[in-house]
Amino acid sequence: MSEQNIIEINQISKNYERKIALSSLSFVVQKGELIALIGPSGAGKTTLLNLLASILEADSGELLVDGKPMSQFSDQKKRAKKIGIIRQQFDLVGQLAVIHNVLAGRLADWGFFKSLFNLFIPQEKQAATTALKRVGLPDKLYERTSNLSGGEQQRVALARLLMQKPEIILADEPVASLDPARADDVLNMLTKLAKEEQQTVIASLHSVDYARKYFTRLIALKNGEIFFDLPSDQVTDEQLEELYQLKELS
Amino acid sequence: MLSFDLHKRKFLTVFLLLLFAWSLMGVNWREGVMHSSGIGTAAEIFAAMFTPDLSLDILLLAVESSWLTLAYATAGMSLALILALIFGILASGVLSSGKHSRTLMKGSFRGVLGFMRAIHELVWAWLFVASFGLSPYAAIFALAIPYGGILGRIFADMINDVPEEPIKALRATGASRLQCLFYGYLPSVKNSMISYTMYRYECAVRSSAIMSFVGLGGLGYQIQLSLDDLLYDEVWTFLYFLIILVVVIDGWSNMLRRRMAQ
Repeated sequence: MSEQNIIEINQISKNYERKIALSSLSFVVQKGELIALIGPSGAGKTTLLNLLASILEADSGELLVDGKPMSQFSDQKKRAKKIGIIRQQFDLVGQLAVIHNVLAGRLADWGFFKSLFNLFIPQEKQAATTALKRVGLPDKLYERTSNLSGGEQQRVALARLLMQKPEIILADEPVASLDPARADDVLNMLTKLAKEEQQTVIASLHSVDYARKYFTRLIALKNGEIFFDLPSDQVTDEQLEELYQLKELS
Repeated sequence: MLSFDLHKRKFLTVFLLLLFAWSLMGVNWREGVMHSSGIGTAAEIFAAMFTPDLSLDILLLAVESSWLTLAYATAGMSLALILALIFGILASGVLSSGKHSRTLMKGSFRGVLGFMRAIHELVWAWLFVASFGLSPYAAIFALAIPYGGILGRIFADMINDVPEEPIKALRATGASRLQCLFYGYLPSVKNSMISYTMYRYECAVRSSAIMSFVGLGGLGYQIQLSLDDLLYDEVWTFLYFLIILVVVIDGWSNMLRRRMAQ
């Protein structure tokens, strides 16, 4: 596999009013890596993901995607080809049929009239069916999305990502509101599909067990700084304990 | 801050109560609130409730004027719905990209909607009768403008209340503002829009009946004629037809809502 830096982060900082969210963070991500961001609440995981998704802008530092600065991806449609996002399950439009939520992944490529027409006569139905089959929901095409369970909705969101085909997937607590069995299932599917499509995944997780089980590299954040950045099989229990430790009494 | 707000609210309550008490002093209690023969007339009118005029002529007339009232209401409401969709979506500001253009768009179109509904349908009816004469268009436009204003305002508020997450997710998949409207906002508010429109349709039927007092024909006009002749039995026949219309529309809207809930 050719070594290709898909994301480069250089000395990036972000403050909220007087609070420091991220202080001069630097790391490099190679194409196809599966990265989990871990760390206690308020460590800056979500801020980092929002910077990568260009929902937020950094105060200082450099963020390169494919060697180009983020400002070159200001066009929504262009950015969608590069970066896809999956969050908790309130990401879908509940009143739409499943197939439309899946086909929404194609909106970047469709013109207005095609997307409007699609709501009456679904376009690219074959592709949507295939995507749903891959996430294990082949028979829910016309079901109302809000009638699906939390785990199933997260699979629909995965199917939408399959239609969108971004090179990078940002996952912000993708399993936060699911029970352990569903969470296992969704993470398994996310990482499996990403491997098949040779996508790069950066996911924030509150569970270290899932992070070690499904991801190849762990980046631990604490107080806005990188605490450690290691392949997941090299992370020790002591390091994790220290990461999540409450402030020592001095 | 909260305690201050509560304090203010209590102050307002006391103020309104005092205002009400003061307003009672304006009533002239000594001469009676009703005039002397009023009670007799009221009794007569309510007695007629049980003896509506069911002769064939009156029933045919009632059916015809119900039809007219319903037709005005339906035509007016259809036009109002079109106006409301256009102006409501624009007034929600979801189609503009910049912060400033959004504020400008919201402000100006909400202003237009406010103007449309600030003037009551009866006043519009007078204005249109004065300009078009007694034509059905007068009734339809008089209904469509204020109802479009009310519906549009509510539609805009509904669209603004749509949860942000799914919309952000759609933006992230590369959807344009217009695509977000059809894939995010409208599907999310469709059901509430339909139920509110049905409720307004019911109001439009009542309004259309009242409006015919201006001389446009319909149930209200017949009620007025019968009242002038002191034929309370006939008045009640027409009133019952009005009630039936409203009940039927209410049933229809319940049926729609149940189907949507599935």
